[in-house]
Amino acid sequence: MGLINEIKNYSDKKSLSTDKRSALDNFLENGFPTINDEEWRYTSLKKTISGQYSVNAVGRDVTKKEIENHSLGLKHKIVFVDGFLISKPEIKNISISAYSEFNTNASEPLEKLNYSLAKKGYTISVNANTTIQEPIEILFFNTVENNFIQYRNIISVGNNSQVKFIEKIQNIDCDNVFVNSFTHIKCESNSKLEFNKIQNNTPKSSLVDTVNVLQKKDSVSNINTLIFGGKFIRNNLNFEQNGTNAESNMNGISVLSKNQLADNHTFVDHKSPNCSSNEMYKGIYLEQSKGVFNGKIMVREDSQKIDAFQSNNTLLLSEDATINSKPQLEIYADDVKCSHGCTIGQLDKEALFYMRSRGIGKEEAQAILTYAFASEAINNITINKVAMLAKQLLIHKLDVDLDHNI
Amino acid sequence: MLKIKDLKAGVEENQILKGLNLTIKAGEIHAIMGPNGSGKSTLSAVIAGNENYEVEEGSIEFEDEDLLDLSPEERAHKGVFLSFQYPVEIPGISVSNFIKTSINERRKALGIEKLSTPDLLKLMREKMELLSIQKGYLSRNMNEGFSGGEKKRNEIFQMAMLSPKLSILDETDSGLDIDALRIVANGVNKLKSKDNATIIITHYQRLLDYITPDYVHVLYNGRIIKSGGKELAHELESKGYDWITKEADKKWA
Repeated sequence: MGLINEIKNYSDKKSLSTDKRSALDNFLENGFPTINDEEWRYTSLKKTISGQYSVNAVGRDVTKKEIENHSLGLKHKIVFVDGFLISKPEIKNISISAYSEFNTNASEPLEKLNYSLAKKGYTISVNANTTIQEPIEILFFNTVENNFIQYRNIISVGNNSQVKFIEKIQNIDCDNVFVNSFTHIKCESNSKLEFNKIQNNTPKSSLVDTVNVLQKKDSVSNINTLIFGGKFIRNNLNFEQNGTNAESNMNGISVLSKNQLADNHTFVDHKSPNCSSNEMYKGIYLEQSKGVFNGKIMVREDSQKIDAFQSNNTLLLSEDATINSKPQLEIYADDVKCSHGCTIGQLDKEALFYMRSRGIGKEEAQAILTYAFASEAINNITINKVAMLAKQLLIHKLDVDLDHNI
Repeated sequence: MLKIKDLKAGVEENQILKGLNLTIKAGEIHAIMGPNGSGKSTLSAVIAGNENYEVEEGSIEFEDEDLLDLSPEERAHKGVFLSFQYPVEIPGISVSNFIKTSINERRKALGIEKLSTPDLLKLMREKMELLSIQKGYLSRNMNEGFSGGEKKRNEIFQMAMLSPKLSILDETDSGLDIDALRIVANGVNKLKSKDNATIIITHYQRLLDYITPDYVHVLYNGRIIKSGGKELAHELESKGYDWITKEADKKWA
């Protein structure tokens, strides 16, 4: 019963390399993490993995119109259907291809599973000294109901290069799909990366999304995570700073309702001196939704002059909504600046009265204040179309009558 | 337009207004003066409908309708406007978006069609000129990082945009330098008509040099203890409050 058996059956019929076999056996020994594991204490996979799944199944084609409907309409689009690369742009000094083998010696169970079972995903490398002006949209479409699918991706950004991505996973004609995605990103010296994750999938979808970013000296990486749709979302976002003057920035917005759960686990490993990290996560929780935030910052012994800032601000808009927020700072160097702040609150009463006294009804005023709360994080998004989409989704989800054009 | 009868109100157990009477007709400007803690801001908060204040007794009628039954937004829809002593910062929403929402929520309540964006912008330009407001200001976040003077000017700008029937200016002069004071006063004077009324709540005579009130009231210890014409303000300026408060203390002791 359940997904773990489907995985056993599936893998028995496939010939896996020795390394993959051993990673899988290792995974099967302990199975999926449970709430007894510290890192999964508030995030239960139980319901997600108890369903009937097929593993890595393939479905139908996706029409041009369907692609258009779910695209931001950017010039450069990489499109996958059930993991197969179906179209990609030709861009000078950047190579884009389908999945390629790589091993990162995973320690986390879902990473091991991904390593052993994945055969789909992308490989993108940006040559040195290249600036890609137009952002690149990466669209993953799923078409098979009750499918458990792995994406395994790798990106490398060459020395002095700059590039921006927007990634989105979208179910079409199906709802209960469990995606286990792993993306490995290498930022070479003095490179600049922006990676936007739009997580607005269908109401029964589940996602575990792990992104590991390895940064060399003078590199800057900005990862924005926008969560609006989906039943279960777990993001593992890990940075390893391997070089001086590296800068890692994270922005997150979660707007959840009904019985949605979203968990943002971040980890910044400051392995070199003179680096910085800055994370701002904002969460808005309606109805029975549930949020989890765990921000770990590690400053190694010789990593002096680190500037690390972390904030997790939450609005709980219903009595039934919950948030579990945990900063985790491990600092072994003495000359560092680390700060974190966590707020959990309701809407400001003074501000509500102010707005109502200007004729704005209570519900509308609440919605506007909520919108205002989130927009601080949206303003950090540099791609106009992504910021606009985030605003639209926010306005829609909060049911507020605002004109985002003025 | 506004009839306040024997109003007793306060916060929790603490009664602040202790039987206040005030009648205001359309076309009039009333100044309410008085020492600190006399209940001036409580009065404005109660008229606007701030739920932190509890009304124990008395009534407020606005255009022959019981105002105390209405929510703050309903009062605003009827044409009541309070210029806050401490306007609230609302990051993340622009001045223009805020005002647009405010105008259209009122229109919705009154069953009037929404104001189109071009019409709104035209109206904004007009009122901005009146108050010498720069264009870039519209896209700034509501009161965020505004100086004290800018916040007050923003209040009067909203007043101009909403054209209320009854405006209450709660210490609008505090935090204004003399130029800003002149601009704000000029705005208030230009917006004055035979159909609307204004209550100016102030500590000082200063604002009344620019806006001439029809009536001046002294609020002390929760009651209006003296009313008069504009000359009363001058008298208070030169003589202070003592000469009337002492008398009141005796009377209500």
